[in-house]
Amino acid sequence: MGETPAPARRGLILLAFLAALALLWQAVYSAGFLPGYSLPSPGQTAARLVELARDGSLWPSVEASVVRMVLGFILSAALGLALGVAMGVSPLADSCLRSLFLGVQTLPSAAWVPIALLLFGLGDAAIYFVIVMSSMAAMAIATADGIATIPPNYVRAARSLGTSGLALSTRVALPAALPHVVTGVKLGWTLGWHGVVSAELIKSSIGLGFLLHAGRELNDAAQVVGIMLVTIAIGLLLDRLLFSVVERRIRVRWGFAPDSARG
Amino acid sequence: MSAPAVSAPAASARIVLRGAAKRFVTRRAAVDALGPLDLEVAAGEFVVLVGPSGCGKTTLLNLVAGFESPSAGSVEVDGVPVTGPGPDRAMIFQEPALFPWLDVEDNVGFGLRQHGHLSAAERRAVAAEHLRLVHLEGFGHAYVHELSGGMKQRAALARALAPQPRALLCDEPFGSLDALTRERLYAELQELHAAKRRTTLFVTHNTREAACLADRVLVLSPRPARVTRVLRIDLPRPRDFYDPRVSELAGQILALLRGDASGGGLSRG
Repeated sequence: MGETPAPARRGLILLAFLAALALLWQAVYSAGFLPGYSLPSPGQTAARLVELARDGSLWPSVEASVVRMVLGFILSAALGLALGVAMGVSPLADSCLRSLFLGVQTLPSAAWVPIALLLFGLGDAAIYFVIVMSSMAAMAIATADGIATIPPNYVRAARSLGTSGLALSTRVALPAALPHVVTGVKLGWTLGWHGVVSAELIKSSIGLGFLLHAGRELNDAAQVVGIMLVTIAIGLLLDRLLFSVVERRIRVRWGFAPDSARG
Repeated sequence: MSAPAVSAPAASARIVLRGAAKRFVTRRAAVDALGPLDLEVAAGEFVVLVGPSGCGKTTLLNLVAGFESPSAGSVEVDGVPVTGPGPDRAMIFQEPALFPWLDVEDNVGFGLRQHGHLSAAERRAVAAEHLRLVHLEGFGHAYVHELSGGMKQRAALARALAPQPRALLCDEPFGSLDALTRERLYAELQELHAAKRRTTLFVTHNTREAACLADRVLVLSPRPARVTRVLRIDLPRPRDFYDPRVSELAGQILALLRGDASGGGLSRG
């Protein structure tokens, strides 16, 4: 393995790579292998995004998707962490829930949409349901695994300091498992984001998924590709702004980060 | 320095084991880890357990701590049978087991949260007092990983002492420290013991450590552990680790241990 370059340099390398990717895209477009209505150029895509932003259809959809995601994700994380702690501290709960959750995880998010519509009709409740079913299991399993690998002496020390019952879960098991939990929550966020867009794709009148669907209906490839890029950007941005920051702070506090090691 | 006979308070526990035995049953076999064993530790006494490795010393501590229950016999603290771990019996492990999600001060104050009636400010004050006691003043807001091995073990000691336990159970607490740090901690531990006369059960296989710290050294047999010899150590305190009398006693303890270890093959169960 080579040396890790400094952050500023890494940023530059990434920018150069993305620019190269865009150039490649432009080259494929210019070569004319594919008809213009199925593959737009980078310029057309950008122009269409600007248009969508100007005519006021982009921002409300971004907002709708993000708000749905945040609400659904809070619900999902609360359920996932609670069930994960239960699985982590109770072998009974673990043997009941683990294979169920592993099974549930094999379903793609989009596969939850039909049953969500049947159960909850056309409202946002169906979308929240899809978010929860897409992301909760991953967070529960990561939390349970995190708790299972806690050094046993943490628990013993806490018990000999008088900690018992629920406090043992909330004050010891969950924080001790934090590095695993954060990894699970990050994964859950990505899976939940899949869920939102999948659900909107199939039934919604607003949202990024809806704009994707509308783009396809109108044979507007520039809109489809543009919205895909926006979806990626938002997912990435929230991951970087939210979870990566938390994760880094935990790594520093735990003493995992390379720059924090001292004698 | 202090007058132990007068200051030995009701705040120290009397620990009594009668016929206490522990047998671990696995699918393949039953292993007798301990006893049956009788042991009385007076309130305020510092008892060190030495024995060949794997003899069941830790099992004995775990019984008193309440992490395990005896298969036979009884374990009582101040006449009350031990039914589980509790804040009256603080445990110190070989690795400090400090909580990395808390800073040093919150680690030390951890046990106080369970007492409920202390406010956050009072908890901080008690934590600060105990950090001073182990010479870690100024490190309250450090992360655990920023401390050296010796400082971590000091912080663990402060965390164990803060809720005012009546007994201190130490499972080779200095086993993984370098010699210099360890020797400084012997002095500090003796100081702390002189100040509070907390009943202490201390497991080690370092015979010099035993001679330096103990009021009484119990030499245990190979598994299942039984007390084979008792050595009362009347040297004045504080004792210096390099005091020739300590060395001499350490030699005696070692001889007792060797005698047991050589006959150990027969009593293996």
